[in-house]
Amino acid sequence: MRRAFAWAAAVLVGLALGVGSALGTVEFGRNTFVEHVGPWTYSRAAGSTAAGPYTRAIIAREALLALSSEEATYLSLDRDENGLPLQESCIYELSGGALRARWWSITLYAPDFFLARNGDHAFSVDATRIDADADGRWRVRISPVQGEAVNWLSSRDARRGFSLMLRLYNLPDGYTLRSADLPVLRTLSCPSAQP
Amino acid sequence: MTGWGKYVLGALIIAIAAHLIAINMLPRLEMGTAMDRLSGQGARMNMWQMSDRVTEDSRAIVRPSPDFAYAACVYDLSHGPVRIAVAPWSAYWSLSLYADNSDNFFVLDDREAQGGAEITLLRTGAQPPEHAAQAVESPSTRGIALIRRLAPTVQAYNDARAASRGDICALFQEPAGS
Repeated sequence: MRRAFAWAAAVLVGLALGVGSALGTVEFGRNTFVEHVGPWTYSRAAGSTAAGPYTRAIIAREALLALSSEEATYLSLDRDENGLPLQESCIYELSGGALRARWWSITLYAPDFFLARNGDHAFSVDATRIDADADGRWRVRISPVQGEAVNWLSSRDARRGFSLMLRLYNLPDGYTLRSADLPVLRTLSCPSAQP
Repeated sequence: MTGWGKYVLGALIIAIAAHLIAINMLPRLEMGTAMDRLSGQGARMNMWQMSDRVTEDSRAIVRPSPDFAYAACVYDLSHGPVRIAVAPWSAYWSLSLYADNSDNFFVLDDREAQGGAEITLLRTGAQPPEHAAQAVESPSTRGIALIRRLAPTVQAYNDARAASRGDICALFQEPAGS
């Protein structure tokens, strides 16, 4: 009886450890399975039939129905220039120039990976709508209120830990992502910056 | 092995097996949930469902893009091949196919098919019907077909919705008289 109880306990502990570590890996281990381009992260294997099981599991949770990298590249940014999580109480500016993609967009997602529930309808900016200068340079304000910003992503009710996703569609053949080509995030003000 | 050692070893072996099974099952579970949602719990298989314009209330699939008009078809090949057609669209569009493990095994976009596209989807190894359009093999019996039409404004979304009436997702039928 005692032996049966011990085996039952071993099975339960094993199952809990196995499933718990799998969920923990998917929840917290994404940085191990992504590539970095400056502060942006992406997975070349996203959506690919050649993706490993961990990449597939992470993508399924965070970006189900993502396109393979032959069609689109998805880059994520969830830290500021000091490595702190992006948060609603801060004001940021994202700046960049012409991107090499046929079409691109930048979308703000709340920590649950859905659009923030704020009623502002300022979820994204894209190549067809962004207001750029004569040289193709542009700036986007990321803040809870638009103020005087021309290009604006609303972070109202996005809480702490929101992220930006840069979608690049139809990159040129043979093109290699370079940090210098990607938009740069700068913190304009952050009254409650906490590590 | 004596004492508690065998129990600890047993727990470790079970933990490793459970870990690997969970990692491999997770994409299938996520896809299963998505297919159930998109097909109304299986009531609308092999037919396009045009999504409402993406807003903060769009919660079916994580990280939706508000710049696209999406149409999804949950396909089921258990009764034979499925015909999929995409009506033309004036800006970027793509047709992508996802197996039940979430792999994106096929993509076609407007660069390759400016005037729209038609494919016949069938199980791996199945014989294409005689009058089938471009045959595409699916690694799984069920999966999701997704059309993305670039439509970043309300007007563009409404136009995309109108265009989507020409899309087809249905069991393949040989032409009458063939």
